[in-house]
Amino acid sequence: MRRWLRNLFYRATLADHAYRFLFEPGPPDEVVVLDCETTGLNPRFDEVIAVAAIVIRGNRIMTSEAYRALIRTDRVLPPESIKVHRLRARDVAEGRPMHQVLPELLRFIGGRPIVGYYVDFDVRMLDRYVLRYIEAKLPNRRIEVSEIYYALKYGGAPPGTVLDLRFRSILADLGIPSLALHDPFNDALMTAMMYVQLREMRERGARIGRERAVQQEAPIGA
Amino acid sequence: MQGFDIANPPFDRLTHQESEELRAGLDVGYFAPGEVIIPRGRSSDWLHVVIKGSVKVRDDSTVPTVLGPNDSFDSRALVHGAAGEDFVAVEETLCHLIPRRIVVDLIRRNAAFAAFFYADVSRKLDAFAGQRKAEGMDSVLRTRVRDVRYRPAVYVDGGISIEQAGRCMRDNDVNALFVRDGGRIGVVTGMNLSKAAVLLRRPLEAPVRDACHFDVVSVGLDDFVFEALLMMTKHDKRRLAIRSNGDYVGFLEDIDILGLFAGNSQLIPGRIERARSIDDLAGAAQAIGAQVERLHRQGVKVDVIAEMTSDLNRRLFRRVFEMSAPTTVREAGCLLLMGSEGRGEQTVRTDQDNAILLDRDVPVSDLGRFRDAFSSALDGFGFPPCPGNVMVRNPVWSQSLDGFIRQLKAWVLRGDPEAMMNIAIFVDAVAVTGSADVLIRAKAALFELMRGETALLARFASLIGTFETPNLGVLSTIMASVGAGPDGIDLKKAGTFPIVHGVRTLAIDRGILETPTAARIEALVRAGTLEPAFGRELTGALHVFMEFRLRSQLLALHTEELGSEAVLRLDGITTVERDILRDALRVVRQFRELIGSRYKLGAF
Repeated sequence: MRRWLRNLFYRATLADHAYRFLFEPGPPDEVVVLDCETTGLNPRFDEVIAVAAIVIRGNRIMTSEAYRALIRTDRVLPPESIKVHRLRARDVAEGRPMHQVLPELLRFIGGRPIVGYYVDFDVRMLDRYVLRYIEAKLPNRRIEVSEIYYALKYGGAPPGTVLDLRFRSILADLGIPSLALHDPFNDALMTAMMYVQLREMRERGARIGRERAVQQEAPIGA
Repeated sequence: MQGFDIANPPFDRLTHQESEELRAGLDVGYFAPGEVIIPRGRSSDWLHVVIKGSVKVRDDSTVPTVLGPNDSFDSRALVHGAAGEDFVAVEETLCHLIPRRIVVDLIRRNAAFAAFFYADVSRKLDAFAGQRKAEGMDSVLRTRVRDVRYRPAVYVDGGISIEQAGRCMRDNDVNALFVRDGGRIGVVTGMNLSKAAVLLRRPLEAPVRDACHFDVVSVGLDDFVFEALLMMTKHDKRRLAIRSNGDYVGFLEDIDILGLFAGNSQLIPGRIERARSIDDLAGAAQAIGAQVERLHRQGVKVDVIAEMTSDLNRRLFRRVFEMSAPTTVREAGCLLLMGSEGRGEQTVRTDQDNAILLDRDVPVSDLGRFRDAFSSALDGFGFPPCPGNVMVRNPVWSQSLDGFIRQLKAWVLRGDPEAMMNIAIFVDAVAVTGSADVLIRAKAALFELMRGETALLARFASLIGTFETPNLGVLSTIMASVGAGPDGIDLKKAGTFPIVHGVRTLAIDRGILETPTAARIEALVRAGTLEPAFGRELTGALHVFMEFRLRSQLLALHTEELGSEAVLRLDGITTVERDILRDALRVVRQFRELIGSRYKLGAF
């Protein structure tokens, strides 16, 4: 309800009406997976330096049409963030300014629901720029993969059950091969793989066994 | 995109540029458990490469094959327009989807990649067998001079005459000599001697030192062959001295190196013919065994290896027979090689199936002597004895023609599996010595006994079902994926035997005298019993199994795990090889069905 009101408000006060499409529903049966790499974890002053988005059409992950961009920022990259995403100042310098990337990205996303792992963080990071350029926040519905995973694995679990919602744990539980982490495209692709599988399992009413131990790197005895 | 394994065959054949194009065009598909990804008979817009999960290849008749990560499917649905089987997701499965237009484009541009998509098993196998050639070349170049059969060093004094030097070469069977002259050592070759005598008109009494040269080019005993080759090229020499610890120990000639590449098969017949005793032959027998591996390493096709090996083995057996048989037996007897040796399909020796037919009576003591001598000679060569005792040592397999024909009749009447197996072994017999006429008469008698005997032929054909269906099944794959046990396929039971025996049955049915399976198939095609295309597939599939079998036999020789030699471990082969194996098994399945319906085996 609050969201609906908010979207109504933004829609009315939208500065640039070229972006009205964000408020129209996207093609049915399509979602977009989003992942951002940032200079840090604080949406108030950290910046987005790389972004990737992949459309999922039905059960097909459209990697061949993925959107990916590096963004140039004026801020000096803090060393601790470089260690995470491995994008050095030099790499980021090859990027383009956000005011060029954002319109492309928003058109790519369109009115589709946004899927992500801790998707609120990515959306909040983007909202800073979105607000600045079009005086609105992203109105898209958000789908949180860790939430679906939680419901399938821990829904109805006795109190005191240890929760493990780490990205790697979900990957391992679903048997998805791990690609190099902290590349926005890879992260988005792995998130997409999680999503198609979790969504289908949810529809089927399947559950993820809690006794199913997280797979080890190598089989026992290997 | 990242995450697509470009090192996974057949994609490893793509150039960097091509693989980038491929990656750019990839999508990822998700399939729920039980979802049919490609139904049989339908085409597909994508080549699927499994990322995770497993896909069952379902066919009504047999246990399904299961595909796992890195396996691709289905080239038939993509290129040839119709899948041969149903492809069904067993569990939650993710696949890379490569659009058809990209695959077709790459097939057009890259012949090595295209080979994967051939419809024909034999062509596919050829394309992938070709790969090993480079490796063969490499292994030869990395051989050490020490391991080459080089010519030993013979020293003469510089004072001896040209004529003496020539005689010395002939007596020692060498083409070059080391010549000591004072403190120095020179080399004289046969060509040097001829030039001195013919072109320079030197008298034959002139000292050899005048004909030799002292700028000896040498290579170390522990140098690599490629270093020797470089040296020959650099100094334009066809012969190098070999030095070791400051001494010359022999000569390495270009022909010796050539021998390494081609195997020295061309030398073995000579060794067999020249052998004067059973012990001499033992060396030749070993050389036959050793060259199989060398030929295989060099990428020679398995049917060619089998043909060469059979030819050499037959010469060997003939010589052993000549040496071990008393005159009476030699004159009356016709030595038979049977089973795989008779079909010319044996590469690494597994067992000996041999027999002797006599067209007249010979003294019992002579026959007894021959049986012992012949068998112990083969034992001495390391030929494993036949587990079914199908050997001349066994009186059943060494008797008069009349007696043997009575034996054949008895087997035909008995009709139990053991009798049928004996008949099967005999049908593959070839005569290596004596009058082949004896063998032809025996076979004619057998064909006469079986002609038109539908029930009998059916019983004979039913041996094809002796072994269980090919198993690339779900359970074993799962077992392997958790590392619980080796996942293997018995090539002999699943592949070779059904083909060989089915073809053998048809050959008896049509009175075909050829013994090699490939030749029988050709004859059956000519007779209109088999479709030409299917005949080619069948021969191709047989060679696939022989190739894989040879590989695991060679492996077993090295690890000394005999007994497991027919079992191919599926985790040890590449995706492409598994694909070829799958195609070959499909051919076997079709062939079993053909034999089954022709002889109405449902009743057994």
